[in-house]
Amino acid sequence: MATVTTPDEAPEEIVSGGNDKWLDAYHDPVASLYTMTQCIALSDIQADGDWKLVIADLGTGSYNMKLKVYKAIAVASGPYIYVYKNLKPYFKFTLPTLEVNPIEMDLWGQVRENKINIFVLREMLEGMRSEGVPLTVRSLRYLQLTDVADFEAFVNLYKNAPLRRQTVITCLSTLKKSMADEDAISCLVLGTESKSVYVLDPEAFTVLTTGKKLWTVKLPANITTIETMEYNQKGFKAVIVALDNCQVHIYKEKYLVNVIKTQDVVTGLKFGRFGREDGTLIMTTRGGGLLIKIMKRNAVFQEKDISAGPPAAQNQKLNVPKKTKLFVDQTMRERENAVTMHRTFQRDLYLLRLNTAREYVKALENSMNPISSDPTEPLKLSAQVQGIGPTFKLTVNLQNTSLSQPSTDLLITFQFDDKLYLFRKTFIQVPMLVPGLSYAFDTFIECLSDKGVSDNVKVFVLKEGKSVPIITGVISMPVSESVVVV
Amino acid sequence: MLSTPDGPFINLARLNFAKYAARPNLAKALFEYIFHHENDVRNALELAALATETCQFKDWWWKVQLAKCYYRLGMYRDAEKQLKSSLKHQDMIDTYLYLCKVYTRLDQPMTAIEVFKQGLEKFQGETTLLAGIARIYEGMNDMDNAVKFYKDVLNFDSMHIEAIAVIATQHFYSDQPEVALKFFRRLLQMGVYNGELFNNLGLCCFYAQQYDMTLTCFERALSLADEQTIAEVWYNIGHVALGIGDMNLAYQCFRLTLSNNNDHAEAYNNLGVLELRKGHAEQARAFFQAAFVISPHMYEPHYNWAALSDQLGDLQSSYNAAKRAVEAFPNHVDSKDLLKQLKHHFSLL
Repeated sequence: MATVTTPDEAPEEIVSGGNDKWLDAYHDPVASLYTMTQCIALSDIQADGDWKLVIADLGTGSYNMKLKVYKAIAVASGPYIYVYKNLKPYFKFTLPTLEVNPIEMDLWGQVRENKINIFVLREMLEGMRSEGVPLTVRSLRYLQLTDVADFEAFVNLYKNAPLRRQTVITCLSTLKKSMADEDAISCLVLGTESKSVYVLDPEAFTVLTTGKKLWTVKLPANITTIETMEYNQKGFKAVIVALDNCQVHIYKEKYLVNVIKTQDVVTGLKFGRFGREDGTLIMTTRGGGLLIKIMKRNAVFQEKDISAGPPAAQNQKLNVPKKTKLFVDQTMRERENAVTMHRTFQRDLYLLRLNTAREYVKALENSMNPISSDPTEPLKLSAQVQGIGPTFKLTVNLQNTSLSQPSTDLLITFQFDDKLYLFRKTFIQVPMLVPGLSYAFDTFIECLSDKGVSDNVKVFVLKEGKSVPIITGVISMPVSESVVVV
Repeated sequence: MLSTPDGPFINLARLNFAKYAARPNLAKALFEYIFHHENDVRNALELAALATETCQFKDWWWKVQLAKCYYRLGMYRDAEKQLKSSLKHQDMIDTYLYLCKVYTRLDQPMTAIEVFKQGLEKFQGETTLLAGIARIYEGMNDMDNAVKFYKDVLNFDSMHIEAIAVIATQHFYSDQPEVALKFFRRLLQMGVYNGELFNNLGLCCFYAQQYDMTLTCFERALSLADEQTIAEVWYNIGHVALGIGDMNLAYQCFRLTLSNNNDHAEAYNNLGVLELRKGHAEQARAFFQAAFVISPHMYEPHYNWAALSDQLGDLQSSYNAAKRAVEAFPNHVDSKDLLKQLKHHFSLL
């Protein structure tokens, strides 16, 4: 038996799966522990508040454990439960026997009366086994024998004994009987090989009730072991399941809330208080290693299925502003005057449409838009002014927006207030524009006044032969910095 | 003075500043004339320097005027020094305001706020100082603090137009247009009567579903607005049209926006989308390109260009544009998806 206290040296930093809810406290892959979940316990042995990890090491055979305990402890072995109090045997409880299959009973009866041959017995039993009928231990043991000579010996030995089918207890746990206190009496819950769950009364050791299945969860790999996790500080209970694929799943109700990846398949699990830490998870692996993980205090296991279902983002509340009283009052107004409001709006809409159309026509006539609406001359104009004055540089970018049609015979000219500005180039001849490319033409502008006024300058793009410009751009000139005469 | 009838009132070049600096009252009036009326910073500075010397650097007023001259000349550190020393002699609200102006120009908003707060200790509840702090917070895009200080301003002066307007805007952009409407109505009642206010009123009415008043407000706005704002008014009418589903009206409005303001990037972007709906992919492309050239910080034109190029098959420019869109607005899910898709596509090749 091994008793492990919290290690004093720094734990080895082994990265197992990069989990953000668990801290790696200890990992020893060669601790040579041969044990299972049922043989690990975290208990306050000496009642001094220091919870120790108790591992029952099976060693190489089936030696009885030396258990240093204070309270009563129950050990299950085969179909019996041995209860020890203060290290002395106290009580032995036997599971009720199960029904034996009548055909099997009959077969053994016939062998006893020497009505059938042992080989026939063997064949019949094998046939029953392949059909999936649960056989007694005796029949199974008989089928396991390989040596023919043993058959006879075995049958002769057992044929006279009554046939009983007993199942083996596979797992054992406690369940609080009526109160949820830590020290309240609890009942013993057994799980058996024959797929039934029994709850035992602790004083009289009689079967109180049997367990029933509530729901099933499908897992991606075989389960090696399972353990409950109770974290009273946060007040939640979960189930830890170790799987065959080197993963440990944590389930809260039906939902998978956390996955821990380990190096080796975990065969033993225990969760509880260890040393001064309230939430530690101890895992022993198939290869004999020992892993200890500490649960971070701020870890939150959300009760949501992380593998399926709508994404978490859908559960976030939308940031809708509070409904103000004003809003409510206005909705009342809308409700009362709905018809008039609608009529007014529609009438105004028609007027607006008319107005807009008029303005639009005016704009088209003055060709005040920088994008040409004429399909034969697909051009785009943009202009920038650089400089702080009194000299500016005006760059006119002209682009042919069509896909395949070049533009020719274009000119750029300007309209400006000649008392304010002086253009070095007032007339720019545009070469042929290749579709898609942007051409830049620049000119320098001098600001003639120093009073800090600015005006608009119009840029016209003209086609030879047409009196109306194709596109026009309006640039508002920035205020020119006055010349500081030194 | 007045030697010729249409000449300047005072011939500055011939003045003996030292003589006038010695007479303090005259010097002050003369300085103000030179600085404000003649706009001659150099001479004003000379006069101020001489006058300060004459009163042995003890007069706070001359220090402030010196600081003003330095500010105009761009010598901000000297201006700061003068203002600080002026404050030692005499606490004046104006001095605090000028000092903060200097710090704002030096791009030190937090220092400016500190100075404002010092001023507030001396002059509790002074709305100009509070408004100054609020403006700085607004400039730093810290709207919560800005609104807090504007509310303080309103506590002391319930007719402060700037404060009411900013708080109203804040309510509008935090999805409470009816409250914003209430504030703008108050401004109207106070007598503010210009295109911008009617524009805001129209928008608030529309988004607070008071449809009967929306369009009348916009009409008033159109009639009152000057050249700069009329482009914005048309842009907002375009948005109203989009809201009611009238694509033609929206198209016309956005075109009108552009003819009033050639560089309205948002209007270019929206026109691009409308053209795309009509099926003119080339025009749409040209519009989006115009939009993102004018305003590279907006993510919409980049994303639209990327999506359109992707559909047309030009994956290279789509990829470049998607990268720019994600740079401009990293949380935009659509551009991130598009980028991921393109990356995947390219890595397959």
